[in-house]
Amino acid sequence: MASLSLKKVSSAWIITILTLFICAIVFGILMRLNQGNDIKLSPNGFYTLMTTHGLTMIGIWTVAGMVGIQYLLSRYTTVSAKLNVFALVLTIIGVIMLWISTFVGNFHTGWTFLYPFPFYIAWAKWATPLFLWSLAVLGIGWFVWSVGILVEILKKYSLKQAFAWQHLSKKDPEVTTPPFILIATVSLVGIILCLITAVILLILFFAEYYSNGSFKNDPLLMKNLTYFFGHTLANEALYLGVALLYELLPEVSGRPKFKMTWYIALAWNFTMIFVLTAFFHHMYMDFVQPLGFQMVGQLASYFASIPAAAVSALSVIFLVYGNKIKWSLTNILFFIGVIGWMIGGIGAVIDATISNNIVLHNTLWVPAHFHTYNAMGNVLFCLAFFWWVANEFAGSQETTKSHKITIGLMLIGGFGFVLMFYIAGAASVPRRFAFYPNELQIGMTTATWAAFFATLYLIAMLAIIWEIVRKCIRVFYSS
Amino acid sequence: MYKGILFFLIACLGFTDAISDPGAGYNLSEEKGLYAKIADVPLNTGSGNIRLPELYQQTPVMLAFIFTRCTGICNPFLLHLKDNLESLGSKEKFKVLVVSFDPADSLSDLNKLAYRFGLQDNDQWIFATTPQISKLVNSAGFYPVWDSSRQQFDHDALLVGIDKEGLITKKLIGLRDVKSLNWMIRSIHDEFMLSYPLPRENMLFSCFSYDPVTGKKSPSFGLLFLVLPAILTIMLLVWFAYQSPKWRLKSAQEIPPAKN
Repeated sequence: MASLSLKKVSSAWIITILTLFICAIVFGILMRLNQGNDIKLSPNGFYTLMTTHGLTMIGIWTVAGMVGIQYLLSRYTTVSAKLNVFALVLTIIGVIMLWISTFVGNFHTGWTFLYPFPFYIAWAKWATPLFLWSLAVLGIGWFVWSVGILVEILKKYSLKQAFAWQHLSKKDPEVTTPPFILIATVSLVGIILCLITAVILLILFFAEYYSNGSFKNDPLLMKNLTYFFGHTLANEALYLGVALLYELLPEVSGRPKFKMTWYIALAWNFTMIFVLTAFFHHMYMDFVQPLGFQMVGQLASYFASIPAAAVSALSVIFLVYGNKIKWSLTNILFFIGVIGWMIGGIGAVIDATISNNIVLHNTLWVPAHFHTYNAMGNVLFCLAFFWWVANEFAGSQETTKSHKITIGLMLIGGFGFVLMFYIAGAASVPRRFAFYPNELQIGMTTATWAAFFATLYLIAMLAIIWEIVRKCIRVFYSS
Repeated sequence: MYKGILFFLIACLGFTDAISDPGAGYNLSEEKGLYAKIADVPLNTGSGNIRLPELYQQTPVMLAFIFTRCTGICNPFLLHLKDNLESLGSKEKFKVLVVSFDPADSLSDLNKLAYRFGLQDNDQWIFATTPQISKLVNSAGFYPVWDSSRQQFDHDALLVGIDKEGLITKKLIGLRDVKSLNWMIRSIHDEFMLSYPLPRENMLFSCFSYDPVTGKKSPSFGLLFLVLPAILTIMLLVWFAYQSPKWRLKSAQEIPPAKN
């Protein structure tokens, strides 16, 4: 059972995340309007928004999953609300530092802050160290939090049980590992690993920055570390959302819980391993990287995505198909989220195939796939949890209220928005352009339409978020 | 809490600003100002007065800055460039424009210089002065400093590659080999070139060591950083595996039964 303090801190998290989410969507819409030549931002202003939008989105939807994991973990083991508060405080400090570095200091390297861009000072001199320190603060908070949640799992389950290895050798083992525990463990281990990578990356950045040029970094090493951290974090964040789905979808649909099977255990253990090497697909254009690494990148991209996605999609289809389901906003969001995850995943696998990547590399196809599995995948998984938990705070799960208009707006807005990216990407329109020259008219047209669809998505989100936040605020007044 | 956050931010800003000097360590001169347009200036040449755009619009240009009284790098620089271009025997069409940045130089001084190098009848080479040298050197990112005690300029040996649109596509500083010159020729013809910075002396951790003679790569110390996160995580998990029975024992009273 979740304690009142856990409910309060979870509410604080949800309100913080959703507030930042709305801001970040607005930044995104402004960027697309600028690319569509509908408004005029300075190039620096565009890249400042791009940097803030990217980092904010990747950060909030990672912690959103962790909030959900820790809350639901209270069903299985004791969880620490203090740990949650610690992570929240460091996250707020980190985000404030980050936004000061971008909006006041005008730091604008993009969310990947790819080496050596942070050292090409085209902004306030203090913005580079402040930006790097903001990441350090966020990284420390999340690292301690992830390790803490893992420890909470290990209070109840041994390491082998947490990884569900007993299910690989026995059909009916003595201790059954819930899929939620397995996926949470796999994702947390991945997050811990990529946060350690981030620490190494930041140490190397600081070493160069503070050595006044007597120490230099290897761009290839820094790029490998950046994507090891960034790509892995983005994937693990999604898997945290999937863990929430495994725990809540059957429950809110009035169906029996998902049972652990050998193939679910195998799929997620494989995913844990392969997702760690899939980042090599970001290095295809780095011709100095040995060919073997590039091949690992392609194969790992297939092996990392297919088992977990296929097993999860089939599990959800079997749960829904031919069964009487109690539909509510929670399971509708989960269901649409699975569709978004699948579409985005297919887009990712297409791009991760070397022969395709030669054409699609750094085109709008890239934001197309990651916006699909985030905006229409992970965001919806976490939002489903937020909706469910807000109703739990309010004391009853709403199943009758109609949200048809909201869902309709979200579907048209969300998929319309990503479709514009796919169309432009397929037409080889480059990404990360503040504005498009006349030769890339399709980039401008699709950007304007994308801004329109994103506005519909924003309206739907505001409708859902308003209700969630209203219910979360009430928790602070309960005793 | 707010006071604490404010104090933390101010402390961070103060600390980082006090101990850092980000500009000090970077000497990326060859990469500065690339794809900027070279200034439109008039040129006085042996065959008459023209404007620089008239030149690069016909064929791409390699622009070299020298001064005729130079007792330092200028002569070796031009000699090296001439020898390398001859040995390269490139069939690509381009001009080599040698411009004096010393206002004291006249066209006749430059013609004498061309004669000394045996280039006076070479159509590929153009020796010129310009009344707007400041504008030209600024647009090229070339900043000679007058040393009155030696009566000489302190300056780099800079070769600037300009394509047919007048964009600076590449810069080479110093006496460079044929390979570098070949890159410049390709770049001024707007060919896509693969490039990656090589590991340098003060680069302690590189992924691979590269032997430019054999072209072979071998794993280097920096690759360990890619494996290190996995090693540390495994160590953490192994430690957890030993510690978790104690935690489970300690918290057995508090934990609710598992929901399966």
